[in-house]
Amino acid sequence: MRRPTLSEWSDRNFRWLLVAPAVCLILALSIFPLLFSLWVSFVNYDFQIPGHAFVGLKNFEQVVADPVARWSLVVTAILSGSSVLLEFVLGLALALALALTATFRGRGVIMSLIIVPLFISPVVVGQCWALMLQRPFGPTNYILSQLLGFDVTISWLTQAPWNFIALIVADVWQWTPFMFVILLAGLSAVPPHVYEAAELDGVGAWQTFWYITVPHIAPMMLLALTFRLLDAVKLFDIIFVLTGGGPGTNTYSASYYLYTIGFTQFHLSNATAGSWIFLVLTVIVVIFLVRRLLKPAVA
Amino acid sequence: MANVRITGLHKRFPGGVVAVRGVDLDIPDKQFTVLVGPSGCGKSTLLRTIAGLEEASEGTIEIGGEVVNDFRPRDRDVAMVFQDYALYPHMSVANNIGFGLKARKMPKAEVDARVAEAARMLGITPLLARYPRQLSGGQRQRVAIGRAIVRSPRVFLFDEPLSNLDAQLRDEMRGEIKRLHQKIATTMIYVTHDQIEAMTLADKIVLMRDGVIEQQGAPLELFERPRTRFVAGFLGSPAMNFLRATLEGSGQELAVRCGEAVLRIPAARADGLAARTGQEVVFGVRPEHISRAHGPARAGLVPLDVTIDLIQPTGSRTYATFLLAGTEVMAELQAHDVEGPGERLQLHVDMNRAVLIDPETELVL
Amino acid sequence: MAVARRRRPLRPATVARIAFVGFWLLFLLIPLYWMFITSIKPSSDYLAVPPIWFPDEPTLLHYTAALYAYRGLDGLINSLIIATSATILSAFFGTLMAYSLARFNTGGQHLSFWVLSQRFLPPIAVVLPIFLIYRVLRLNDTHAGLIIAYTVFTLPVSVWMMFAYFRQMPGSLEEAALVDGCTRWQSFWRVAVPLAVPGIVAAAVFAFIACWTEFFFALILTSRNAFTLPTVFRAFLGFQGALYGEASALAIVSLVPSIALGILVQKHLVRGLTLGAVRG
Repeated sequence: MRRPTLSEWSDRNFRWLLVAPAVCLILALSIFPLLFSLWVSFVNYDFQIPGHAFVGLKNFEQVVADPVARWSLVVTAILSGSSVLLEFVLGLALALALALTATFRGRGVIMSLIIVPLFISPVVVGQCWALMLQRPFGPTNYILSQLLGFDVTISWLTQAPWNFIALIVADVWQWTPFMFVILLAGLSAVPPHVYEAAELDGVGAWQTFWYITVPHIAPMMLLALTFRLLDAVKLFDIIFVLTGGGPGTNTYSASYYLYTIGFTQFHLSNATAGSWIFLVLTVIVVIFLVRRLLKPAVA
Repeated sequence: MANVRITGLHKRFPGGVVAVRGVDLDIPDKQFTVLVGPSGCGKSTLLRTIAGLEEASEGTIEIGGEVVNDFRPRDRDVAMVFQDYALYPHMSVANNIGFGLKARKMPKAEVDARVAEAARMLGITPLLARYPRQLSGGQRQRVAIGRAIVRSPRVFLFDEPLSNLDAQLRDEMRGEIKRLHQKIATTMIYVTHDQIEAMTLADKIVLMRDGVIEQQGAPLELFERPRTRFVAGFLGSPAMNFLRATLEGSGQELAVRCGEAVLRIPAARADGLAARTGQEVVFGVRPEHISRAHGPARAGLVPLDVTIDLIQPTGSRTYATFLLAGTEVMAELQAHDVEGPGERLQLHVDMNRAVLIDPETELVL
Repeated sequence: MAVARRRRPLRPATVARIAFVGFWLLFLLIPLYWMFITSIKPSSDYLAVPPIWFPDEPTLLHYTAALYAYRGLDGLINSLIIATSATILSAFFGTLMAYSLARFNTGGQHLSFWVLSQRFLPPIAVVLPIFLIYRVLRLNDTHAGLIIAYTVFTLPVSVWMMFAYFRQMPGSLEEAALVDGCTRWQSFWRVAVPLAVPGIVAAAVFAFIACWTEFFFALILTSRNAFTLPTVFRAFLGFQGALYGEASALAIVSLVPSIALGILVQKHLVRGLTLGAVRG
């Protein structure tokens, strides 16, 4: 057999050559840094002190012992849980409201408007809501006062629990369209004659929804929830702009906490240790979610 | 020289599917060979392996005496016409046809000349500037063929090219492909599931089932002397009738008993069957070999009295169905030989052309 | 929820639908409107009660201040350079990989799952070590550094969008090209890619928007030199509202292009959001 030419060789290995650049990039800038950070979390990594002494689990222990760290996990859970739940309900309602309407004039415009927040930078969203809520510049208190009849003087950005609500509102404002778009796609895929059959059979609206619509879009709902939840736990940008984590450390999300540890206090080893704990927790949540939510679909 | 020889070819797909098992095939130079068989029999896979689009798991493929297993498609000097035409939608017809030549760095003047010649041969010269989406199905198919001829390959491969056309167009294109072969005498390998295409186009038919070759040979040979029940039942339209029967008699006086009917076997065909007297056989006879009795029976024709169940007139012929020993049998009669259901007729069964099949091995006796 | 064919005047369900959508649109548009108004409101109008919904003397001073005094324009240019470069790289390498996955099932389930899972990596876990690595390589606060990081950051979505796109393209065209005389690379480049352009454009737009709006990586990996548009907002924090005009001006500048682009590719939105798992 004669030696293959370059052209023949590249044809033979074509499939591998195609994936090589992307795989190398990911290895270099994702896997390698992760492994590196794992090493960092086991040593004493400090800019001032030369030599990185191995310290075992000390960094991990320090993080776990830090009350702020634990509180940040609670904050992350509360914020992401409530946000995603609200986004799901509102997104579903919006999708239902628009799914079965025939094409009316202006439908395209309304759809375009609804999806706008998805393309805005989260810091801009945070900035936008800061403008709305900041006392005394924001019109929110004024509008609420007019609607409710009494003077509303809530410090949305600096007073618990209102600051939590503020963060949730901003997140819901931005990400409800995410749920909406996916659920709408799911609803549009339900064959219409299923509904027609139900109508002929005399099935009521609520039952139609529960026994026909939901089973059809259940996989889509699972998809939307999983994707959105995995994104929500990374919460950082909005907190940075709206509350700065405050008052004090009151609204520290896990990411924000690790950011302050690593980049304002420069306790790098603690930060990497903490981020590995966070990573592991995220993976556990994913596995739990996917398995748990898969069961009803099977049943 | 462009004969194709396949030895011991196996093709396994990941997931365990074996599409081709141990195929040995000789495709003679300059002949039109048709690979035919039901869906999933492996004919397309075999074709694609010859083209180089699939890699053989085992076995060798030779083109013109050269082993080409390791050759890329572009190096095998074959051309292929696909079922869905596979025309490049973003290129004009002229560019579609000349694409392969350009990829091989042929000078522009020569490319243009060859494209013009191919277009002239296929009658599509006015279409050269158009795009595939502007063409009809038949025109697209011609462009696909043009793309193949322009390269003057040593082997043409056709993968069910007429399946996407309507019946009338199919008949027309079939004639054109046959004429094409007469004009450019090149080896052509043609895959189809349609036995009429196979019969009308082929110099040699290769009938495949489940990854192996059932029988190969000239069309009429497979038609008149099928070796297995499958071959007998696949070729011919309408399909051959099969009935369960028993062999009776002794020596040279043998007959087939189907229920009440006893059909004498002509002495000339009784060789070797005596040993099986008393055994069950499958009796096969084509509808066109059952006709209305007009006068006394010639040698080999056996009379049969039946009651017609159903008639399907097609104009020149009428297909009449009757029951024999509980099985529906179809006969091809002249249009005015039969009136309607319920009619009692005498038919002649041509025992010279009938076949007997061993019910277990499915081989023709 | 049942199909509502309106033979009679508005049923209560339809009224509820219209009302709900209407409320949502209000909820959506009022903050955006307020932000826009703030950007053209003279500072003296800020503290007015009741709030001023349209200023008597609109001004563009905030825009010039945001873009020049606070270096918003520099941030914008940097964002443009970095996002465009990262998008091109991501779309290119992503398309290559997606083609291999779609046509050859390269690496089977494991490879595709691995690439997919990158999408869900918490940035904090990656950005810290990258910061340290970049320190050594002197890539911090450089355009190149952030471009590489953004390329990797947007690869999973690019790969998955193009994977779904290639899957629904029949492979017979590329096979015809192979038999016709192309090498695999030629068949890919001359036949597959030209036909995949709509998908590539959509994937590129999504990648661009992701880079344009990204904050965290930029915050940590850039400083005075390569800072992107979202990071400029840091300059406006904590001034008790005095800089709200500038902040909103910059916000408007930042969101107009990404919204425009987003609306252009909204047909592919579902594919992009679900990484191609769902056909839009």
